[in-house]
Amino acid sequence: MSIRSQLLKGILEGCILAIIERKSVYGYELSVLLHNYGIEVSEGSIYPILLRLQKEKLIKGEVKKSQSGPNRKYYSLTDSGARALNEFQIHWLEMKVSVDQLLNKGDEN
Amino acid sequence: MNIHELVELNNQKRKLLTEENRKYYEKMLVYIRLSYRISDLETEETLSELLDHLLDAQEEGKNAEEVFGKNPKKYADEIIGELPKMVTKERTSLIGMGILFFLAVSMILSGIIALVSHYYFTEAGLMKEFYLGSALLKTAISIPVAFFLLYSIIFYLRWSCFKKINKIAEFFVFWFYGAFSVGLFVIIYLFIPSFGPKLEISVFIVIMSGVILFILGTLFKRKIEKGKR
Repeated sequence: MSIRSQLLKGILEGCILAIIERKSVYGYELSVLLHNYGIEVSEGSIYPILLRLQKEKLIKGEVKKSQSGPNRKYYSLTDSGARALNEFQIHWLEMKVSVDQLLNKGDEN
Repeated sequence: MNIHELVELNNQKRKLLTEENRKYYEKMLVYIRLSYRISDLETEETLSELLDHLLDAQEEGKNAEEVFGKNPKKYADEIIGELPKMVTKERTSLIGMGILFFLAVSMILSGIIALVSHYYFTEAGLMKEFYLGSALLKTAISIPVAFFLLYSIIFYLRWSCFKKINKIAEFFVFWFYGAFSVGLFVIIYLFIPSFGPKLEISVFIVIMSGVILFILGTLFKRKIEKGKR
């Protein structure tokens, strides 16, 4: 596994929660949105994560008719999902600041 | 949607896949469906979700390998790992149903064999002799053996899913396996000595009881399916 995909593995869940918070999406839509935000993952890899998030009751899936016609499973955030996203944002900021500092320090020396 | 509708819809939609994508997807489908530890309804829901995604991707000119990766087995294992496990109640009902059907079929079969031998070999009467002790022991041994044989087939099918196996070799493997299974039951039935109180039951009653057990099994099956909706 490349360093990039290892880095991504941990934060992909948070990214998916963030997208679902903005609007309820179905699987394919989610993969397109991730791609549009520049988060490149193999499309299939979102499904094991979606299943896990459902098991942890952070998101819930509901089968609805899509604009294009066929029924799709739309995912939306639950209350505990919203809390988990909040926590992710806090952790991410903390980590971002420390990692930035660490990396920039290296530059100064 | 219930399981049957989901499966039917999946069968229809699969026809829209290109040959290459269909092969890739179907291997994964068989492999995931054969993993008996996971809950059926969620499994079918996820399979249909993956199929929808693949169809969308196909429209954009992508193939299954680009969507799910180069290693379908690894991907399928990841999915199976995240699918909710079958609850114990569901599993117990399935095993119960299996036992009912097994007993039903073996009673009907032994009744028919007795009936046929009565008409072809006149010395065999229409009364079937049972020794309570050995009948119970035979049943107690046969049921786990039947489950083991079934489990082995599922194990083989899952193992062979993503492998290229010579069809002729496979045919012989299955043929031998069939003969081996039958042989195993013959050995159990012939080599367990008769003991316990002797009962004489009419062949027709044996067949009738088998049919009743079969109907019970069917009702049980319906109840399990209904509970999943």
